Amino acid sequence: MEAPLSGSMTTAPERGHWLAALALVCLLAGCGTKQVVVESEFPDPVMNPLPLTLGIWYDDDFANHEFFDEASGRAESSWLVNTGQAQVELWHTLLRGMFRDVVFMNGKPGPGQMNPLVDAVLLPTVDELQYAIPAHTNVKVYEIWMRYRFQLVTLGGEPIAEWTMPAYGKTPTAFMQSDEGAVRLAAIVALRDAGAHFATTFTRVPQVEVWLNSLPRAGGQTQVTP
Amino acid sequence: MTLRLLLLSAVLLPWLTGCVNATVDQMVFNSPTAGIGDASVVILGRRHASDYETEPGFIRCVGGHIEARDPSIRVIDELEFLNALYPWFEPRTAPLRPTDLEKLFEHRDVAEKFAALQTRYMIWIDGSTVRGDSAGSMTCGIGPGGAGCFGFGTWSDDASYEATIWDFTQRAEVGRISATASGQSYMPAVVLPIPIIAPVQGTACDSVGDQLLEFLSHTP
Repeated sequence: MEAPLSGSMTTAPERGHWLAALALVCLLAGCGTKQVVVESEFPDPVMNPLPLTLGIWYDDDFANHEFFDEASGRAESSWLVNTGQAQVELWHTLLRGMFRDVVFMNGKPGPGQMNPLVDAVLLPTVDELQYAIPAHTNVKVYEIWMRYRFQLVTLGGEPIAEWTMPAYGKTPTAFMQSDEGAVRLAAIVALRDAGAHFATTFTRVPQVEVWLNSLPRAGGQTQVTP
Repeated sequence: MTLRLLLLSAVLLPWLTGCVNATVDQMVFNSPTAGIGDASVVILGRRHASDYETEPGFIRCVGGHIEARDPSIRVIDELEFLNALYPWFEPRTAPLRPTDLEKLFEHRDVAEKFAALQTRYMIWIDGSTVRGDSAGSMTCGIGPGGAGCFGFGTWSDDASYEATIWDFTQRAEVGRISATASGQSYMPAVVLPIPIIAPVQGTACDSVGDQLLEFLSHTP
């Protein structure tokens, strides 16, 4: 009768081969690209919605945003950070809480483009993303910086406002936490920071403020409370 | 005999810990006149500094310490609170002084959320645990006949935290507690590494938690 665990019994040289193969796999894994797909749910903002119907248009670069940093040396790893899905989730949740109505556009606003009727259309883009890990900085935090560019345009594509906004997130090193896990957490903190920054400063952007005050509303002005 | 030795090691090893020195300072400006009753407490980490961050695990540890010793005190989970009041308590937007709360409560929705949470005290914890000097070396090897390590390593950890207590009803800071702890950990290795870890952060957590518990459980 065959012993139940006979399949796992090996002679010493065979075991040695397995261990050598395992060590090789571990070494090769250390040289590959570290990939981070940022996924998260974001909370609804607690704020009085602006009495506006806002259109949103995410271009493909934004909706599938990813950042690639090629390793500069053999001892380092390349990094691929994909934030597109989380970006869409964040801005969708945030803007629905900030405005009375939010409508997704059929196409990029411009002359001749058929889109639902809205007060203005917001076009967010990620201009730049940078990261830092403890191996780069000797500081025991993982960091993500992002710079957004926002365009607020009319349905016909005429510019109302354009501005940039930074966002920053960091997370401390933790026991048994991988680099990828820490960068993912830092990216989520950066996205939350982006949402907080946008929500609390949108009505204070000078061009936006001028536009809001020019809108015909009951009482003559749109109620803006940052 | 060998089996007995291994079993004895397995039982004793988890109890081997390094020594920790802890110091706690408490400065209470305004002692509570009664326990907090049905109200709740929220403990939040300060995350403004560029070179360190108050560990979320430490915040959970202090909250758990308080709830475990006095189940009548309801401690709101940090992330639950941050999500419930997003975006007003993110590092960029969080109030830095109790007087900033007045401005926050001008937002009707925020004031309603606070009322629903019945938060009486907000406790801000600022600090971190850092790894200090380390020394020694250890070599590990793996071969067809087995694997093992040989050597000795030692390192120190230093924890420094400050808790600031805000009273919502008075919109004022009512207490301040600081705790520091330091300890030396050792890792001798003869085939197997034997970690003798100094629970520095855990000691700081217990110290801060005990002091907060004393403050929050106060009855006249």
